[in-house]
Amino acid sequence: MSARDDILAAIRRNLRREPSDASAIRTAAEALALEARESRPSLPGCDLAEAFAQRLVSAKVVGASVSHIGHFSEAPGEVRNYCDAHGLAYEMALQPDPALQQLDWSDFTITASIGADQTLAVAKARWAIAETGTLAFHSGPFSPTLMSFLPLHHICFIERERILAHLEDYAAAEAGATPPRNVNLITGASGTADIEGALVRGAHGPAFLHAVIVDAGEL
Amino acid sequence: MRKVGLFVTCLADLFRPRTAFAAAALLERAGCDVEVPRLQTCCGQPAYNSGDTQNARRIARRVISAFETFDYVVAPSGSCAGTIKLHYPDLFADDPAWRTRAENLAARTCEIVSFLADVCSYSPRDVALAASATYHDTCSGLRELKIERQPRALLSSVKGLRLIPLPDVQSCCGFGGTFCVKYPSISNAIVDEKATNIESTKADLLLGGDLGCLMNMAGKLRRRGSAIRAFHVAEILAGMGDGPAIGEEP
Amino acid sequence: MTRAEADTFKARAGAALADHHLKTAIDRTTRTARQKREAAVAGWPGFSRARDLGARIKDHVIENLDHYLIEFERNARASGAIVHYASSAGDACQIVVRICRDAKARTVTRSKSMLGEEIGLPHALDEAGLGRVETDLAEHIVQLAHDRPSHIIWPALHRTREDIAALFREHHHTPQNSDDIPAMVASARRQLRGGFLAADVGISGANFLIADSGAVCTVTNEGNAELTTTIPRVHIVTAGIEKLVPSLPHAFALLRLLVRSATGADITQYTTFHCGPKRAGDLDGPEAFHIVLVDNGRARMLGQGLAEMLRCLRCGACMNHCVVYNEIGGHAYGGVYPGPMGAVLTPVLDGLETSRDLVHACTLNGRCQEVCPVDIPLPAMLRGWREKSWAQGLEPVTQRSFIGLWAFVVTRPRLYRLGAGLAIKTLRLFARDGWIRALPLASGWTSTRDFPKPARRTFMAQYQAQKRNRGL
Repeated sequence: MSARDDILAAIRRNLRREPSDASAIRTAAEALALEARESRPSLPGCDLAEAFAQRLVSAKVVGASVSHIGHFSEAPGEVRNYCDAHGLAYEMALQPDPALQQLDWSDFTITASIGADQTLAVAKARWAIAETGTLAFHSGPFSPTLMSFLPLHHICFIERERILAHLEDYAAAEAGATPPRNVNLITGASGTADIEGALVRGAHGPAFLHAVIVDAGEL
Repeated sequence: MRKVGLFVTCLADLFRPRTAFAAAALLERAGCDVEVPRLQTCCGQPAYNSGDTQNARRIARRVISAFETFDYVVAPSGSCAGTIKLHYPDLFADDPAWRTRAENLAARTCEIVSFLADVCSYSPRDVALAASATYHDTCSGLRELKIERQPRALLSSVKGLRLIPLPDVQSCCGFGGTFCVKYPSISNAIVDEKATNIESTKADLLLGGDLGCLMNMAGKLRRRGSAIRAFHVAEILAGMGDGPAIGEEP
Repeated sequence: MTRAEADTFKARAGAALADHHLKTAIDRTTRTARQKREAAVAGWPGFSRARDLGARIKDHVIENLDHYLIEFERNARASGAIVHYASSAGDACQIVVRICRDAKARTVTRSKSMLGEEIGLPHALDEAGLGRVETDLAEHIVQLAHDRPSHIIWPALHRTREDIAALFREHHHTPQNSDDIPAMVASARRQLRGGFLAADVGISGANFLIADSGAVCTVTNEGNAELTTTIPRVHIVTAGIEKLVPSLPHAFALLRLLVRSATGADITQYTTFHCGPKRAGDLDGPEAFHIVLVDNGRARMLGQGLAEMLRCLRCGACMNHCVVYNEIGGHAYGGVYPGPMGAVLTPVLDGLETSRDLVHACTLNGRCQEVCPVDIPLPAMLRGWREKSWAQGLEPVTQRSFIGLWAFVVTRPRLYRLGAGLAIKTLRLFARDGWIRALPLASGWTSTRDFPKPARRTFMAQYQAQKRNRGL
């Protein structure tokens, strides 16, 4: 017998039963998932973009800041402002997302791929989640995973209508789609409490996360 | 009239009769008809917690037989009451007849302070004690029987008594029954931290609902040279706070 | 002391108790952890309902473990993952080492996984001559110090910042200039970046295995898991089979409980779902993705009355709140998992005979169960092990005889009364000023605590006398 067969046999022997009915299991699992909605943390009464923004700058999230722009066309100006405020050169890795690539970044030196000691990366998040102040990224041809992990500063644009309320809403929004290699749910900057429980930001990933809410897709 | 069998507990019987007298007096004041069955000894917890279920069952059967004719069984200990209430039914998982009797008794078993507050709606009148006290929630009472509010409520009606919150009150004192015998040095390190917290309150008195824990904490306080005196909470509620504290037996 | 004596639980605990430096280190971390957890729980009105639901989700998976294992395997394979099964720790390590060799790997990065520690993977990788780079900051500290983890969330909790500063100055190529914690973290970042980039294989654990997609979820705050799993050519996951959940919403329900209980945050900074290898057109990611599903005693636990232990999310709250752990630290337990959950698991992994002390070294105060995010009845499980130990004759003869004699007496009330009267008379002989300072056979107590002098007569004797006087 293979290890697989051994393990399955041991499970069934110790559970003292035959394999159960798959549809009954599914029904039970769906009921449990639905029930989670009843006890999950509630959101403040404001709109989701405001709730997300409040959450991100609260003490609950490490090393994050937030700003708003009206339209994607304002993105380069917003990145310039950020660089000026943090004393950064106009150099960055830019996520190869068409919405970002088509903008006028002529003030910037742009690297196509992310370097190991990259100071700044600019990207567009796929979703945001107000409950936790989380940005969701899917790996793919327009979105390399490492862009979220190698730089020191990470600026993320998120369209207002893609801000979801709860973690479950993310699952619902992607239900039925083939999952990418990586889903990265990112909440604030990298941190560690491994030395005496003291929280320090910028452990391996970014030390600064800046979210920019794009208020309207259309002008 | 509620017919109550007082479960004395072996520690009260041997080391601190005042606690059991206080419990009996309180029950009478609360309008109960109190009896102390002569066939009682111990609830069997040392055997149960040592893994000796056979002896634990033998002892449990005796306790059940001695107490099942009463309306209620009341003990001045969260730990002993918890054993009867929560663990006796488990002991007879494979013995339906005894399990029924164990469950029947469990349903009517209570710790003294919560019994006074929840069943009798009793609170002491005309009891006064000019002192400050800190109260430690003993773990079995707190977690097995959810006793937290009742002792504080009853103590608040003792005139002149000022309650000072104990820092890190939910931490165990390190007694643990046979634990303190098997692992005395770990037990000592735990009770030493507890004593530091108790001393930090600068209270006159340490109160609690379980004699094992109280003896452990009082013994440590005494060895550290602290002047804080320890009483079972029932003694204070019964107006016996002017008598000798634990370790002041004549 | 002989080597065997030095390696008993009591000897290890004794050494830990004598180490005041260790106590300082433990307190600095666990105190913060307790405060943060308490605040997080207080800030979530639905916590107790969510906790109850979390326990039921885990129980549902455990009751249908075979079903979910097959479903996960099918979906993981469909995503391009290669799925392996390992019955034992040794088998699991062999599989991982073989994958590394087949990939002609020279260096391997690892992101912290308790399952990896459980199966002895760090040792197996070293034995196989693979260059191992631990990327979790605490595991990096443990690796530099040739040490063992002492906590499941903060493996280097036993080390103070002063220890770690010295360690980094000795081992890092450009160590910190000042010994404040942020400078030390920055030094580790510089040190480990090269390791991330050079690795051929990255090994992670799993916090959840999502059955309906075949995805593997990891959670970290540092971001080291993603650098470990994205850069190398090969990503290997080692996971215990109990990590299965039906679907993403179930993982989220448990994640809320896990993170609040572990660190007091609401979510980890990085919660990542890994599904298969790099896809066509992807700009990064591994070419091969292996998942090693490890039993190592878990299926057996189902039949040993230990099924509820498989709910464990590995949050560490039980040890943060354990009075014993907080005095002796993690190493004294002697197993991979310390604290209450470790005391339940170590007898499964290492055998009860060598770990019977662990199941007794607990006051049964119940706080571990109270703070457990999935309500595992840890005290009842420890008591269950005590019953097994008693039934298997592993308890020392002195212990058995003492309990036996005591039970003989307490089941005979008249004999008991007689003995009780004699006992207090004898005890009173040792007392001065109401207290006993030294007592033969109870020196464990009296060497550090006084023992109260008993009353002159037992309660039962006094009560009967009073009744007689009252003519009752």
